Amino acid sequence: MKQFTDIATPFATVADTGELPGQDLPWLNTLRQDALMQFNQFGLPSKKVENWKYTSLWELAQQSFNHQAEAVTMSQQQCQDVALLDDAYRVVIIDGVFNADLSQLDSLQAGVMVRPFSQSLDTVEQQLGQQVAMDKLGLTALNTVLMKEGVMVHVSAETNVDKPIELLVINSGGTECLATHLRNMIVLDKQASATVVEHYVGLSDATYFTNVVSEVVLADNTELFHYKLQQESENSFHIATLAAKQSAGSQWHTNNISLGAKLARNDVHSRLEGEQSHTTMDGLYLLNGSQHIDNHTRIDHLVPNTTSNELYKGVLDDKSHGVFNGKVIVHQDAQKTDSKEYNHNLLLSRDCEIDTKPEMEIYADDVKCGHGSTVGQLDQDQLFFLRARGLDEVSARSLLTHAFAVEVLDRIPSETVRKAMSDVIEQQLPSGGR
Amino acid sequence: MLEIKNLHASVDGKDILKGINLTVNAGEVHAIMGPNGAGKSTLSNVLAGRDGYDITQGEVIYKGQNLLELKAEERAQRGIFLAFQYPVEIPGVSNVYLLKAALNAVRTYQGLDELDAIDFLSLVREKMTLVKMDEEFLYRGVNEGFSGGEKKRNEILQMALLEPALSILDETDSGLDIDALKTVSDGVNALRSQERSIVMITHYQRLLDYIVPDYVHVLSDGQIVKSGDKELAKELESKGYSWVHAEGPAA
Repeated sequence: MKQFTDIATPFATVADTGELPGQDLPWLNTLRQDALMQFNQFGLPSKKVENWKYTSLWELAQQSFNHQAEAVTMSQQQCQDVALLDDAYRVVIIDGVFNADLSQLDSLQAGVMVRPFSQSLDTVEQQLGQQVAMDKLGLTALNTVLMKEGVMVHVSAETNVDKPIELLVINSGGTECLATHLRNMIVLDKQASATVVEHYVGLSDATYFTNVVSEVVLADNTELFHYKLQQESENSFHIATLAAKQSAGSQWHTNNISLGAKLARNDVHSRLEGEQSHTTMDGLYLLNGSQHIDNHTRIDHLVPNTTSNELYKGVLDDKSHGVFNGKVIVHQDAQKTDSKEYNHNLLLSRDCEIDTKPEMEIYADDVKCGHGSTVGQLDQDQLFFLRARGLDEVSARSLLTHAFAVEVLDRIPSETVRKAMSDVIEQQLPSGGR
Repeated sequence: MLEIKNLHASVDGKDILKGINLTVNAGEVHAIMGPNGAGKSTLSNVLAGRDGYDITQGEVIYKGQNLLELKAEERAQRGIFLAFQYPVEIPGVSNVYLLKAALNAVRTYQGLDELDAIDFLSLVREKMTLVKMDEEFLYRGVNEGFSGGEKKRNEILQMALLEPALSILDETDSGLDIDALKTVSDGVNALRSQERSIVMITHYQRLLDYIVPDYVHVLSDGQIVKSGDKELAKELESKGYSWVHAEGPAA
């Protein structure tokens, strides 16, 4: 059995409620119908599927999710308090619904389009769904069937977006067992550049399900700084797929920070299709309690002279469980590939678990590749040194944990984003940061 | 200041210290010399409060208090400073952060307010001049990529900033060239005062040319077998440690 057939939520019937946007678009209806067939065939993956070996969706399958959100109100101040950045173009989605009042999309720079998914379907026919494979993962098919909101970013050629774009997705906890299926699309035309932050926040301890797919299309010589901060509620399920197609000379810098959710799964995939293109895939996960996070990454080097640099780090406490599986595939034509892939983990308790597997498949013969992973504990010599300088044990442990994690943050090029992320991380670290 | 009485300590059931007796008064500088394996580092670790040592007998009194009951950080806050033989590198923690945290830990214990950023930096800069360190070292990770000499100077910088009542220098001279040795010694000598005591642990007599001790003790097989003044160090240098062994434990 490679799938769950016993799924409590009647997902297929939700598609018939007439609530989905773009039902007047034949191409979209076709896309959704194909996806529904895929989902009916493949369902949710079980642990028999190699890529889902360590992550069980059984509990998710048992939940009966709602797809209709109760109306909620939120003040500008409340929204500003949970936002990551002070000064940004912002799309705010609360409980799956776009909130125009709280969004900040006035005075958009010329050449920059930032719109909610539901209002931009007329512009995305050529590209929607092109970056993600639906055939193997039922979750992406499910997302395609039910995608309702999200953000569409389109930057015209030779335009450098002057402010970061923050997609702020909030779950208020106002609707019991809410499921939201979000689709984001980021398209950069030639020589454009942008900074995008995907930010997912839960405001309660509610049980809910966020299923998001983000597609990225980078034309020649573009540069996208793409950050994600996941602070979902402690009882939520967060499933995210992030996939990019990169043309010649494009640079995709990702930094994927996971702090929340009961169960979180990230699939991050880049296809380096043009020479001189580059991917940075960084990530940080801080887990406690019985949290479970699974990061699956994949980088395809398809043509000569491409580079990738990947660093995922994890701090695990209590009975948490982390999974890292990173795959770099250097295809036959991809001579002169330069790729580095590392995963390092710090275990703070005896009961936590990490399953880490960095993989490289190399079919070209003139490449420079390195990969590895480590699992360790706090260094006793460092701990004693700090205590001998007067720091109590809790502070010393906290400081060393921060020191371990900060390497990932230090690789964030934008100072504003780095500072904002650091502030969030310090709150989250064991014993409340430094 | 410090009174060590019949101190016995073992690691994993193996006896290392076998009855140390030593009294250090305020303002005194003591050198403890001895061959490898005599128990020198064990003594400094036990005094600083490192875990993993069993104290099987004896006691250590510091400023009238039972030192062995205190945690490492409590000893540091009360003015005990260990300059490490091998200072650890801590990437991700900046030197300036460490210095500030260490100083604030001591000041908080003393009931003083934390220094503000401006006062703190001017104090640190003053102390850095003492050990001839560039300001760039403040913003690097603690000892990260420092040379052996830079690490030792960084230890003395911390000592100068914290102004400890009792400093224990564990093989501070090891790995230093002559210029670095002078700089480090100048830093230590600048801290000598009537109120402060220093215990230097060293294998070689060389350091004692620069930091002249009031007393010299020879540690051998877990006991102090001979005590004297700085002349004893010179005698040791010329005759070797076997000379002390031949004479047997001090009466």
